[in-house]
Amino acid sequence: MAEDSQRNFRSVYYEKVGFRGVEEKKSLEILLKDDRLDIEKLCTFSQRFPLPSMYRILVWKVLLGIIPPHHESHTLVMKYRTEQYRDVYHALQVIRFIKDSTPQVEVFLCMHQLESGRLPRNLAFPLEPEDEVFLAIAKAMEEVVEDNIDCYWLVSSFVNQLNNKYKDSLPQLPKVLEQYLNVEDNRLLAHLKACSAVSKLPYDLWFKKCFAGCLPESSLQRVWDKVISGSCKILVFVALEILLTFKMKIMALTNAEKIIQFLENIPQNNTDAIVSKAIDLWHKHCGMPVHLV
Amino acid sequence: MAQQANIGELFSMLDSSVLLVQEDITAVFKDNLNSDRGPMLVNMLVDYYLENNSQQALQILSTLQEPHDKHLLDKINEYMGKAATRLHTLSLLGHVIRRQPSWKHKLSQAPLLLSLLKCLKTDTDVVVLTTGVLVLITMLPMIPQSGKMYLHDFFGIFGRLSSWCLKNPGHVAEIYLVHLHASVYALFHRLYGMYPCNFVSFLRSHYSMKENLETFEEVVKPMMEHVRIHPELVTGSKDHELDPRRWKRLETHDVVIECAKISLDPKEASYEDSYYSVSQPVSICLQRRQIDPNASPYIETHISYGKTTLQKITVPTNVPFLESYGNSSLLKLVTIWSPSAVCGMTTPPTSPGIVSSESSQTSSQPYSKYFSTPAGGKGTPLGTPATSPPPPCISDDFVHVSLPSAAATPPKKEDKLDPGRPLLSRQQNVINSEKALVPGSKSSVNLSDLPEFLGCLASDEDSVEKDREEDAISKEISEITTADAEPVVPRGGFDSPFYRTSESLAASQKKPLSVASSVQGHSLSSEPLASSLDKSGPEGARDTPKQAFTPIDRPCGASDESPAGNRVGQSSMETSILTPSPCKVPARRRMGFGSGQPPSYEHLFEVALPKTAYLFVSKKTEELLKKVKGNQDEDCTSSTSPMEVLDRLIQQGADAHTKELNKLPLPSKSADWTHFGGSPPSDEIHTLRNQLLLLHNQLLYERFKRQQHALRNRRLLRKVIKATALEEHNAAMKDQLKLQEKDIQSLKLSLQKEQARYHQFQEEHDNIVAQLHSQIRQLQHDREEFYNQSQELQTKLKDCRNMIANLRLELKKANNKVCHTELLLSQVSQKLSNSESVQQQMEFLNRQLLVLGEVNELYLEQLQHKHADTTKEVEMMQAAFRKELEKAKFCVQQQSQRLDAFQKRIVELESQLSKKDHLLLEQKKYLEDVKIQARGQLQAVESRYKAQKRITQAFELEILDLYGRWEKDSLSKKLDDEKTEAAEAAEERMDCSSEGFADSVAGYSEEAVGRNGETKPPSTRGSSNSKGGSSSELSTPEKSQNQRMGQFSSRWEASMLLEPSTSVPLTVGSLPSSTSFLGMKVRELFRNKSESQCDEESMTINSLSDTLKSELCKDPSMVEAKAPSSPINPSPSPMNQDCSVGQLHIMDYNETHHDHS
Repeated sequence: MAEDSQRNFRSVYYEKVGFRGVEEKKSLEILLKDDRLDIEKLCTFSQRFPLPSMYRILVWKVLLGIIPPHHESHTLVMKYRTEQYRDVYHALQVIRFIKDSTPQVEVFLCMHQLESGRLPRNLAFPLEPEDEVFLAIAKAMEEVVEDNIDCYWLVSSFVNQLNNKYKDSLPQLPKVLEQYLNVEDNRLLAHLKACSAVSKLPYDLWFKKCFAGCLPESSLQRVWDKVISGSCKILVFVALEILLTFKMKIMALTNAEKIIQFLENIPQNNTDAIVSKAIDLWHKHCGMPVHLV
Repeated sequence: MAQQANIGELFSMLDSSVLLVQEDITAVFKDNLNSDRGPMLVNMLVDYYLENNSQQALQILSTLQEPHDKHLLDKINEYMGKAATRLHTLSLLGHVIRRQPSWKHKLSQAPLLLSLLKCLKTDTDVVVLTTGVLVLITMLPMIPQSGKMYLHDFFGIFGRLSSWCLKNPGHVAEIYLVHLHASVYALFHRLYGMYPCNFVSFLRSHYSMKENLETFEEVVKPMMEHVRIHPELVTGSKDHELDPRRWKRLETHDVVIECAKISLDPKEASYEDSYYSVSQPVSICLQRRQIDPNASPYIETHISYGKTTLQKITVPTNVPFLESYGNSSLLKLVTIWSPSAVCGMTTPPTSPGIVSSESSQTSSQPYSKYFSTPAGGKGTPLGTPATSPPPPCISDDFVHVSLPSAAATPPKKEDKLDPGRPLLSRQQNVINSEKALVPGSKSSVNLSDLPEFLGCLASDEDSVEKDREEDAISKEISEITTADAEPVVPRGGFDSPFYRTSESLAASQKKPLSVASSVQGHSLSSEPLASSLDKSGPEGARDTPKQAFTPIDRPCGASDESPAGNRVGQSSMETSILTPSPCKVPARRRMGFGSGQPPSYEHLFEVALPKTAYLFVSKKTEELLKKVKGNQDEDCTSSTSPMEVLDRLIQQGADAHTKELNKLPLPSKSADWTHFGGSPPSDEIHTLRNQLLLLHNQLLYERFKRQQHALRNRRLLRKVIKATALEEHNAAMKDQLKLQEKDIQSLKLSLQKEQARYHQFQEEHDNIVAQLHSQIRQLQHDREEFYNQSQELQTKLKDCRNMIANLRLELKKANNKVCHTELLLSQVSQKLSNSESVQQQMEFLNRQLLVLGEVNELYLEQLQHKHADTTKEVEMMQAAFRKELEKAKFCVQQQSQRLDAFQKRIVELESQLSKKDHLLLEQKKYLEDVKIQARGQLQAVESRYKAQKRITQAFELEILDLYGRWEKDSLSKKLDDEKTEAAEAAEERMDCSSEGFADSVAGYSEEAVGRNGETKPPSTRGSSNSKGGSSSELSTPEKSQNQRMGQFSSRWEASMLLEPSTSVPLTVGSLPSSTSFLGMKVRELFRNKSESQCDEESMTINSLSDTLKSELCKDPSMVEAKAPSSPINPSPSPMNQDCSVGQLHIMDYNETHHDHS
């Protein structure tokens, strides 16, 4: 109740009238003030609203379990994390897997491999698809996060989450996409089917890499907010929206390869709108995300 | 065009000889004029008139109505400019103007006036001048006000013409000059009459010049002898007489009369009111008064006048030839005046005298009445009397009647009249009637009758009227072929009935006329005498009838009469040579007859209007007296009026003509006048014509004047009638007054009677009143006595009443007492009954008492018999029980207190318990929180640990890799075994340590136990060795090849281990090679060991707490004190201590919590 009293009483009306995000920052701050952060609330919040960029990293870290919910232990835990990062980094340096000139992304990869015990014997080992996913995400994350340590931890946690939490749901997503596309625009779906491009759509790029490399970082952040907060369905709607947005072009293209090629390199100028629409669409189809997983 | 042609035809028919056609045509023209407003018809009419001298056209033109006047005037003006038509035009203008059209006021603005004036100023034709002057004179009174701007023109004209008269620049015939002179004379009169001041000043300025002096002497001065001083000359001024207000009230005839008043010329003058003194009539009036002495003055006098007139008429010496005339005329008068209702006098006054005469002469009654009624008030205008025809049958009666009546009345002075007077008075009547007849006869009389008619007419004309009449007749004669132009004379009386009467009259007169003319011709022609010889002649002739009224003058007049008549006859015969014109005959005749009778109607005035007639008569007589006397004087003087000259001229002409006429046969006389005389020279004819014209003009002018006079007369008569009516009214009022006075007197008488009666009554009344008063007094006295008696009685009554009231009070008191006593009695009786009952009860109680006393005694006896000893025991028992009860109570109290205390305690404890529960929950939460926190940290640590493990693995892999490479190298070289052994041992140790980490803590605990007290390095070494060997074998299968060198490595390891074991207690926390790999390892080991130690210690503490749980543990710090004591021996690392302390503390808290619960 104390929280509510502190909130602006007009916030309800803001939402009713259609203003979004007026009170989000404040409510988020209120949420973050709690000792022993309420992870569920944070999840709900980040699903409902776009996160303010100044708190995004913190929220992500909390949601991904990099730092515990208690504020007291944050410094300590981060110290551990940092030491761990340094140790790993040092070890990698010692065993000469990385040098100073090694790009950060690869460093992250090596560290991740090391920590997961999959460090190849030799650097010459070819990259596995997992590693490529990791690299793409890391690249995107690197743009978002400045601190290397944070970045590493976020990347590795994000990837771990993808691998652990969404292990079952991710393979379902293409089917879900098809289903929603049928609801939204069955002509497009028919067209895609006619082109036999449904199965060849860039699912890896969309669902495994979570659009890393597909969307610019500013848009990507908002998608990842939802993913990190526990909803991988948003990925479906982003993909759906991309298809709907570029429907005309897709309809114009008859060749599956061309479609896929186009989709893999969609124009970057309109992505914010796409994401916004996708979120709306997501809200429309799945309701307000209080109950969402 | 068609219309014009039509009009042309009409013009041709205009002068038709048939009267009916003429009338029709005239009506048509008038209709046209009414409908058409254009000037054409008027112009054509004027043209026609100028060409044909048509009488009808003149008639139409002279009656033109308003819109055409301008055209007419313009046309006339146009013709006026031409010398040829000037004369005709002027005569036309004269005709028109004499009609006095409604638009006459426009004349002053018309250019015609200017051109007329110009003509008069410049023309040299005497005829034109004379005509023009006459027109101007006629016109002047019509435009008195607006004509003033031409005043100097008028004066100029007068100057010019007067000088013309004298000098005769045109050298025209003398005869013309006479006419001109007459007209100038008229102009003089007119101007002097209208604008005296201006005119006089003009005369003064004009004749002050020398060249005009002669004219003045010759012409103007004689004229001035015939005028009196104009009052305006005294009272007015030049401007005043031009003042429009002066003229505003005056009509045309007023102006004419005004002018005539000034004149002294008997031919011009009119005599009215203020110009004559009233002294003369008064005497006559007095005379009359004496004659009629009977009381009521007005009515009686009227009657007396009536009588006198009757007497006059009924003179026995009636000339037979006059009878018919007199009959007719008188009868006319009778019939005229007969409708008494018309005059408004309904009551004919009846005088006793007349009544008596009537009684004697029954037949005379109506006529006397007839005569007497008009005498009262002749309301009908003078013009009307001529309307009714005379019934001839009455004439004889009348004459007869009048005779006895005259005889009956006592003779007066006037009765001594000579026969001439009644005759004349008769003639007056005749003239009066004839005058009325004349205009009518003009229109209706046939040409055949004309001569006789003329003869008849001639006898009746006044001198003034004579001229006009003559003019009219001459005109008729001259225009014999044309019809009479003046049928419609604007006189009220001449309507259709009159035609008949006049015709009948004419018929009836035929016979008498011849007689009359013959007789009159010599017997009564006094006028010719006057006109032929001298002025005195006509004067005298004319005066005679007037004189006839006055007895004084009578003989003279009578003497004059006959000789004058004879002379006239002769003189006229002589002068006839000069004027052969036939038209002179009637004129002369008329003169002859008429001149002698001008005032012949005056006696009628006397009859009709006694007063005015009286005045008039007296005036006339006065004047005549003067004249007669003055005539002789004036005879020699040259101041003959131009009128008289003209008259004389005409007279002469007439005489000459009659002479000539007598030579001719009668028929031709009437048929053709113009050719009469056969061959006169053309010059003469011209002159004569002109003369005729001039005469005509003059006649017309005179006729105009006469009309004006007639108008005036009518008005005056109206006034007179009004006045008489008022007088009558006055008389009536006076009568009434008298009657009322009589009434008043009688009323006064009756008043006196009434007053006397009243007095009587008053006295009686007083007596009665006195009686009544005395009665009243007596009665009052009685009343007072009665009053006193009644008062006494009343006082008695009051006393009685008081007594009664007292008695009543006493009665009331007594009653009260009775009531009180009754009440008391009842109370007492009640008390008595009560006391009785009480006594009864007392008795009963006493009896009971007795019974009870007996019973008591009985019981006492019984009680004394019985005695018992149980009281002590009972008392003891009771005390014991009481004590017991007290004890029990105390006990109960104690118990209850305890219970309360316990209950309180329970509540307290329960609250404590809840608090504890709460605390416990909080603690649990907190614990969970802390657990979560720790878990988080632990997770981090774990991950770190895993990372370290991975690192280590990586390192190991690396090392192994390196070893592998190095062994390959050493195998190839085999240089140093020890080094390899040491390396192997180290590797084994590494394996061992890693295994110890990985497998369990058991090994460490063993080591720790061993370290507690005893130091058994071999055993530990052995175990460690064995274990290390096993672990190495397990972990690194690829290193199975190195198992052979396990012994060497164990040795090296022992040596290495020995050193730390010895220095353990001292240098646990300060390992020198912390950064080095081995140092790290060692430290790790120690850390793990301390952890395990902590576990053990916690176990022991748990057991301790269990033992303490049963007892009240009031000192948790004891456990803490124990805790630090335990690690003293082994001296573990500070980290371990901290950790254990925290755990202990937590446990302790838990325990206390448990205790409380």
